[in-house]
Amino acid sequence: MSAEFTITDIAPGELLLERDGNRVRAFVAADEHATWVFIDGRTFRFEKVRKGSKGFEKVRGGSRGLTDLSAPMPATVLRILTAPGKTVRRGETLILLEAMKMELPLRAPQDGTVTEVRCAEGQLVQPGSILVEMT
Amino acid sequence: MIQRLLVANRGEIALRIIRACREARIESVAVFSEADARAPHVGAADRAVHIGPSPAGESYLSVRKIVDAARTSGADAVHPGYGFLSENPALAGACADAKLTFIGPPADVIARMGSKIGARRLMERAGVPVVPGATPADQSDNGIVTAIERVGLPALVKASAGGGGKGMRAIRTIEEAYEAVPAARREAHSAFGDDTLYVERLIERPRHIEVQVFADAHDHVVHLFERECSVQRRHQKIVEETPAPGITPEMRARLGDAAVAAARAAGYRNAGTVEFLVDGSGDSAQFFFLEMNTRLQVEHPVTEAVVGVDLVRAQLAVAGGAPLPWTQEALSQRGHSIECRVYAEDPDEDFLPQSGRILLYREPSGTGIRVDSGVAEGSEISVHYDPLIAKLIAFAETRDAAIDRAASALTRYPILGLRTNVAFLCAILGHPAFRAGTVDTAFVEERIAELRDTKEPTDAAQAAASFWKPPAPPAAATRVERDPWATLERWGR
Repeated sequence: MSAEFTITDIAPGELLLERDGNRVRAFVAADEHATWVFIDGRTFRFEKVRKGSKGFEKVRGGSRGLTDLSAPMPATVLRILTAPGKTVRRGETLILLEAMKMELPLRAPQDGTVTEVRCAEGQLVQPGSILVEMT
Repeated sequence: MIQRLLVANRGEIALRIIRACREARIESVAVFSEADARAPHVGAADRAVHIGPSPAGESYLSVRKIVDAARTSGADAVHPGYGFLSENPALAGACADAKLTFIGPPADVIARMGSKIGARRLMERAGVPVVPGATPADQSDNGIVTAIERVGLPALVKASAGGGGKGMRAIRTIEEAYEAVPAARREAHSAFGDDTLYVERLIERPRHIEVQVFADAHDHVVHLFERECSVQRRHQKIVEETPAPGITPEMRARLGDAAVAAARAAGYRNAGTVEFLVDGSGDSAQFFFLEMNTRLQVEHPVTEAVVGVDLVRAQLAVAGGAPLPWTQEALSQRGHSIECRVYAEDPDEDFLPQSGRILLYREPSGTGIRVDSGVAEGSEISVHYDPLIAKLIAFAETRDAAIDRAASALTRYPILGLRTNVAFLCAILGHPAFRAGTVDTAFVEERIAELRDTKEPTDAAQAAASFWKPPAPPAAATRVERDPWATLERWGR
């Protein structure tokens, strides 16, 4: 950040930022995990830093994808396409999830070996729960 | 005349229909699942009936529960909206049996047009051009693969019962077929309860252009011109407009005539849409019948803007037995309209649907801007239903002005708390190929890298995030949660 912004709280969730005579309007809201900012058609999500008192860490979609081997959202396990001990290649589909009437393939993030499958076909899984472990 | 109408749907389309009922002095009855107990459409209706648990199969997709709700609430008519049971002949049939006016065509027409095979044969006989294809009698993997080889690659495998891209797979090599066919069959089964697959030649780089038709019980059939719907992701439309750019007046007339012929051949009644694939451009362009949607379309507002009609009011009138409110000669297009579908989805993750609570929600407004939404600040986007948040519709004198108007409105449309496609829609509207009006259905897939927002947050965004403090102090005891339902009464009145 070069020069400082002059920031005014103009309405609930709405800020006016001024710098060198230029003004932008920002909309801001937060939940327990992140602060969300909307400016000029773009939305940013700043993950709250767990340790330390202040500051934000930028998180974009790419870092929390379907290669996490965890469910990205509440979903039903449609099919399990792997098993413990199996050698898998990066990009190989391990689990097929179904959410919002669409199939979502969960793919291996890298080459490796599956050590554990922690779900069953037909099971409803919650976001963040680890479905497959691999090394 | 309809006195009390049950809206067998949820979200923005339920609100759209409820508003039309209010204007027509028809009482409205909403239905809701567990997840939707406090949804805006429930608050907006004159009455509301709880029809079951959150999964759609046990609520909005249950013919029995919808008809029971109509009976117990004293409704004399049912509007199915789009999706859910709108194209299921069982609902139209059950309504007829229960002496309820169904806002749509008769059950046999829905069944006829719902079968891709049946619809195709009917169109061929009526002289409407169709894409080469087949429904193999042998529905095994091998049977489907043989059919793919016969129709020729590239081919498209899709649910015979379906629509909306569910259970649809493009196949470019025979090897792909062995993974894609079972997946298409599973999706077809889970979405429609029918896993019959249909195989057709894939027309590369087609444009998707559809024609709005309307028929009454007095042998009148009209068309209300075309809509260009080529901007799609995962075979689902995200930006629609009318008039279609690059369509000559001759081509427009031919499309309209073909659509009216299709509706007449089907014995159609009420509002419907005939979808065409268009190959090439100018007067040499060819078009093929794709399918007929026997219901109101998501994108109906662009037609309403440019033709100057209210399609839902007309649906209610025609279902009540009135003749069409317009003649073909009286209908014309004026200006240009574009619709952007705002979804809770992550364009960076293959448009993965998002769920969660909307923390902050402000709709844009102004000259030529219409927002049809089904949410409010505090609403929960649940995993159970389609993640459509709203439709933003812009209208202006010219195509360029309509694009500018839509793009500007999107920059005034904050939706915070979950990922949306707002920035992606802005990128589409700003893309030179879209501006030039030359996009086909491969546009999003091919230009995805140019359309994603990969830039770093601006320092203004960083500054805003750092500056902002939650409205209540963090001490748990005194913390006042924003009541998400406090805004409910603003809806629909």
